[in-house]
Amino acid sequence: MGRDSCEAPFISPATLRWLFLAVIVVVWELVPRLGLVPSVMLAPASEAMIAGFQDFGTFARALGITFGQLASALIFAYGIGALAGLLLGSVYFLRETLLPIVSSIYAVPLVIVYPLLTAWVGIGPESKVIFGALYGFFPMALSVAAGVQTVDRQYILAARSMGARTSQILFQIMLPASVPSILSGLRIGGAMTAIGVVVAEMMAATGGIGFLITQNRTMFNTAEVYFGIFLVLILTGLLDMFIRLMERCFTNWYPKET
Amino acid sequence: MLSSSYRVLVQAGIVLILLGLWEAAVFSGLADTRTLPPPSEIAIHIVALLGDQDVLYNLWITSAQVGLAFLIVAPVGVAIGLLLGEHEYIGRAFRPFFYFLAGVPKSVFLPVFILTFGIGFTQKVAFGIFQAIFVLVISAIAAVGSVSPTLIKVARSYGANRWQLYSQIFLPAMMPVVIEGMRLGMIFNITGVVFAEMYVARAGIGHMIATWGMSFQMPQLFAGIFLTAFLSIAVNEVLRWYERRVDKWRK
Repeated sequence: MGRDSCEAPFISPATLRWLFLAVIVVVWELVPRLGLVPSVMLAPASEAMIAGFQDFGTFARALGITFGQLASALIFAYGIGALAGLLLGSVYFLRETLLPIVSSIYAVPLVIVYPLLTAWVGIGPESKVIFGALYGFFPMALSVAAGVQTVDRQYILAARSMGARTSQILFQIMLPASVPSILSGLRIGGAMTAIGVVVAEMMAATGGIGFLITQNRTMFNTAEVYFGIFLVLILTGLLDMFIRLMERCFTNWYPKET
Repeated sequence: MLSSSYRVLVQAGIVLILLGLWEAAVFSGLADTRTLPPPSEIAIHIVALLGDQDVLYNLWITSAQVGLAFLIVAPVGVAIGLLLGEHEYIGRAFRPFFYFLAGVPKSVFLPVFILTFGIGFTQKVAFGIFQAIFVLVISAIAAVGSVSPTLIKVARSYGANRWQLYSQIFLPAMMPVVIEGMRLGMIFNITGVVFAEMYVARAGIGHMIATWGMSFQMPQLFAGIFLTAFLSIAVNEVLRWYERRVDKWRK
């Protein structure tokens, strides 16, 4: 395909993309300023930034709270998720019976569980950590289970015939051989955990960036709402960068095919 | 491999054992009935909910929002994906936007939808579409890549125009991959609508769940959670079954 479908375009696709992005930013700035859209709906880009930096202390504190909750939630999501995935993927009986159930539960909108959490542990940080961990648990467990399943049975057979213990097979064969799936679990699970924490803060909380977004929305502080969203995007972007960094370390360690 | 009937039997056994342990924990006093009602009580409440006009009305509202969002997003998402996947120039210019946005947490944008569309039916539908469209577009782009180049070449050499190429070659050949995208889109769509209902709304099952939670009506809350979970799993399983059928039919 290709060339014949577009005769000599005047600008390269990349230029068109940046031009388009620039147009969006300009429109975002101008449309509310010209009064084409009520300023309660859309705050000009510059106004959102100014509002945010004027109140930077508040936003920085909220970001700190969210970050702490996210870090704790990640530990649980990754740890419990990896362990569950390892069991679900490697034990034949569990793989055949429980794994399909877990993957079906993945279709449930987990937000509906949040009122239960707040009724049990209140609207403090605990509910955010648990909810974030729950959100990240499923992708992590399913990725690890999928990875463990694809491990070549020959390796396990060979190791067993050489007298390897179950723990040795688990940690020296299963785990290293499923590194690519574990990495994708870390990435998707990390993103989901971040969503879980912020969503929980938006629904009922006493602090954090999601709480700040909701609070400003109820007061119709549109500029602050947009700045809060911007900060969440930055936070998830940083998390993604961090996970990619881990990925690079892991990939070096992952045994290469020869 | 276990035979499928045996597997279902074992799975039902596992679920029953878990429910039995839960029931036993409540009755032995290990758990408090006020915070953790026993499964038997929840079952009674699920039946009661299904006979309640108010609950049925709210379930209908949620289904209508999810359904309408899906009816809009399915053709639009596939069309955008087809264009981005097939058209070299447009694809290279705009594909990165969709890859980037697919990775962004979309839930934080909910307040923007409230500021723009209010808190009614339209806002829920719009947010459902927004949640679902990116995964759908990306799977449609991948689906374009799965179409056999020979098919396209043959159609081209017989003088098919772009419209014929799209409607008679691409769309049918893309279906298996697109249906999987639709299933994922549907999960995101349901999550989006229910989350929007729980956040701010006047109706919908999500709104009822949030209200039950705030007023500590635990049996109703549990019944609502289980009911919504059952329905979402059912929708997902039906789409998965259809996915397998199309796949088989293609071979």
